[in-house]
Amino acid sequence: MAEGKRNPEEDGSEHVPQWAMAIDLDRCTGCEACVVACSAENNVPTAGQEQAAMGRAKHWIRIDRYYEGEFPNIKVKYRPVLCQHCDNAPCEPVCPVYATYQNAEGLNVQIYNRCIGTRYCANNCPYTVRFFDWFAPEWDGPLDLQLNPDVSIRPAGVVEKCTFCAHRIKRAKLDADAEDRDLADGDVQPACVQSCPAEAMVFGDMSDSHSKVSKKIESGRSEQLLSELGTKPRVYYLRKAD
Amino acid sequence: MDRRSFFKVVGTASGGAMTGACGKQAQEIIPLLVPEEEIVPGVEAWHPSVCQECGAGCGTIARLMASEREIEVEGELVRQRIASIKKLEGNPLDPVSGGRLCARGHAALQSLYNPDRLQGPMKRVGSRGEGRFEPVSWETAIGEVGDALAATVNSDPSKVLFLTQSRATLRTANIARFLNSLGAPAPSGIGVGDFAAETEASRRAYGWNGIPVYEIQDSTLLLSIGADFLSGWVSPVLYSRRYGHMRQGRRELRGRLIHAESRFSLTAWNADRWLPVWPGGELALALGIGHVLVTEKLAPALAEAPQELVSAYAETDLEAASSDSGIPVAAIQEVAADLASASAPLVLAGASMVRRNSADAVTAACALNLLLGNLGKAGGVIAPSVSGTRLESTRPSSAGWVERLAQAAVVFVDRVNPAYSSPSSRDALSGAGTVISFSSFLDDTSLFADWILPDHDPLEGTALSVPDASPVPAVTAAAAFAAPLYDSRPTETLLAALAGAAGKPFETLEVDASLVQLHAELDSGAGEADADSFVAESLRQGGWSGERLVHKSAQASQLGAFRPEGKQDPLVFQAYASLQFGEGSGANRPWLQELPDPASSAMWGIPVELDPGTAEKLGVRNGDIVQVESEYGSLQGPVYVNPAGIPGVVSMALGPGHENYGRYASGRGANPMKVVGDIRDRKTGASALGPTRVIVSRTKGTGRLIQFSREDRVAAPHRV
Repeated sequence: MAEGKRNPEEDGSEHVPQWAMAIDLDRCTGCEACVVACSAENNVPTAGQEQAAMGRAKHWIRIDRYYEGEFPNIKVKYRPVLCQHCDNAPCEPVCPVYATYQNAEGLNVQIYNRCIGTRYCANNCPYTVRFFDWFAPEWDGPLDLQLNPDVSIRPAGVVEKCTFCAHRIKRAKLDADAEDRDLADGDVQPACVQSCPAEAMVFGDMSDSHSKVSKKIESGRSEQLLSELGTKPRVYYLRKAD
Repeated sequence: MDRRSFFKVVGTASGGAMTGACGKQAQEIIPLLVPEEEIVPGVEAWHPSVCQECGAGCGTIARLMASEREIEVEGELVRQRIASIKKLEGNPLDPVSGGRLCARGHAALQSLYNPDRLQGPMKRVGSRGEGRFEPVSWETAIGEVGDALAATVNSDPSKVLFLTQSRATLRTANIARFLNSLGAPAPSGIGVGDFAAETEASRRAYGWNGIPVYEIQDSTLLLSIGADFLSGWVSPVLYSRRYGHMRQGRRELRGRLIHAESRFSLTAWNADRWLPVWPGGELALALGIGHVLVTEKLAPALAEAPQELVSAYAETDLEAASSDSGIPVAAIQEVAADLASASAPLVLAGASMVRRNSADAVTAACALNLLLGNLGKAGGVIAPSVSGTRLESTRPSSAGWVERLAQAAVVFVDRVNPAYSSPSSRDALSGAGTVISFSSFLDDTSLFADWILPDHDPLEGTALSVPDASPVPAVTAAAAFAAPLYDSRPTETLLAALAGAAGKPFETLEVDASLVQLHAELDSGAGEADADSFVAESLRQGGWSGERLVHKSAQASQLGAFRPEGKQDPLVFQAYASLQFGEGSGANRPWLQELPDPASSAMWGIPVELDPGTAEKLGVRNGDIVQVESEYGSLQGPVYVNPAGIPGVVSMALGPGHENYGRYASGRGANPMKVVGDIRDRKTGASALGPTRVIVSRTKGTGRLIQFSREDRVAAPHRV
């Protein structure tokens, strides 16, 4: 281990962060900045009118909204929904080729080169955050100039989804290594978190009790989506206060 | 040998980040199967820029990396290595964006790289509106337009009309200088989003010049009337940041939000209580709340409030206010009592949907802050910051442009689209003398132009902008950092050339020189830095911001009489600027077309929103086609039955219905402004978005309402 880096593990092993996200629903306005930020960052192609009409539009993060009550006493409940990076992910055991798995840092990883497109994972995901690529993506030139070279473009026939911006995690690690230091809380910001105008989203290492995300998770308003399914998501929602 | 083998690298187009370029596109992509240790993300450079999608003027940063594009050189397809922008983010040093960015801000990139951008100057060869143009050289264009301009300027310079955005920018300052050199009238700022009602109300209620800044982050109870401040009003990123703080940024203190608007907007989503005010009833509601505060002596600053105002509130008939606004008397009384009992109450007033009486409505709502003693204090309302650039005074007004268009001999159209925002202007555009457009796209208005002289994209040019709302005195600034993709010219430079050709030369004020002026104005405020250092540092950081100023309370001036508007009978129609398309200019960005509409979840089209009762009477469901007809015009579109629609109110977002605006927007849906017609705020002349009385009828058609999520409500759980 390089000099100047701490070693928090008692057994001498290098600290392995456990990534998690907290979304404060009392701050979230539903403005969808995260949705476009994600598409821009991750080369998520637009499906176009015809494909969108067939339910093939892809949004790695979306705002789910449900109306409750009747006018004038009507409310809308909404929340950003993305891959929940479950510790007990229903998508993983059904993949016949092990294209999706949970890595040591808690990311639910999708290996596009291994995926054969059975779509069992998408079928088994209770959050419907996995998208099948029916066609190879196309961008009308010169829109392709905007593509992010850090993120692979998915070919036809595979399933794609939120990566928690794994390339940004990698970049933050490289930067920290170059500066001979440990990753600091806040060094990693997925594109959605970075963009959020209301600062509703926090990302970090939940194994660090001092991290912002840990404090949010312990705030007393924290809950997990469809927790009754036992999926153990890494995305925590902070309830809207009344 | 395949086609790709013929490509040649023809060199560098920009001095930006140029390292790490790859020879084949496939190698730019990093497969995730490669072990992590081998991935070295490409070298990047971040440059400060200014978002120009709306007048908020957010400071942004652009991620620049090496790319390649294919171009044709002397009939041969070659590969050119260029620096391209990969991503836009908020500039963390900017006091407005604070490092954050909205959906439209991100999508500005798809204006720069839009496949339908015009690639050089063009001259009309077909009839107006037909859309037939041929490429010309810049020299030809400048010469011929200069001649036409000279002829008009020498005979009657008042017949030169310049239509542009209503913003406080160096661009508008240079346009004003151009017109001044010609002896022509000042430019007209047109379109939605000029915030004329807010500016007028600020002057009348507070005696301030400009749009007030609301300190909502420190309030404990926020009443917003008419302003969808979390979506598109004035400065959505700034106010979203402040809203987040108001809710959960303070220990043990959560601010409440009561929102009054005639639509269940994004701000209404977020409110603890939504007051579904009837379109045009915002004035009645504000007067009603003021009436209760005054007559029940609940207002904490009643003694200090102007007598004229107190009388206006006192004389309001509460029952009539309730009837005109559609809000029950009890609810008005409750809101007034809530304001009176809150430790830091605040009223935020605006006109996201401008009405005929919006200037009065916003004034009456702003003036509630006088009763609450809210001026210039924490959690209150503060005067607009003065940047020191004097650019604020160049913000163009919209008054009288329609009348002038009918008489104009030379019309310049800059970054606005009157043929879309005011469809009735098409006739005048058809009959105008010479029409010159600076648009980067063949849009609805360019169709009527004699000359299209495309500007650089905002991300290719320089910029200096005063934000519409900033917590501190600030300007955002950008030097040019990305080489233009096409044979476009900066409009400000072009104006100097045209003025020269017309024999009326003027000198364009550049960003550097403007910052030097600001440095001189600031005196001690610039610290020890000399002018050169100040300019360099401002451009490096993306602008300049000063210290927070303490504003003393201002005095209400010329409050004037209020004219409540009686409630119109149903059905009424209102258009609104949407989160994704704004006033319509975002419609040619594919990211925004495929972004689910917040209310309806619609993609690639905007529906006509009906309330459930009206839909039931008409016998229509989601996707059925209805006809909406007013005295001004009609449209057909698919229905979305909005569970939160106000009974009798028909709403539709701006954005669809461009007759010409590139492949992603052209011919998609119907333009709601055709139904709204050319109605205006009586006091300011600003374009109103309704209400307009309409007849809605079912057609035999069923169109496609494409929704990302078709479910409006949680389905009942299955019982086994």
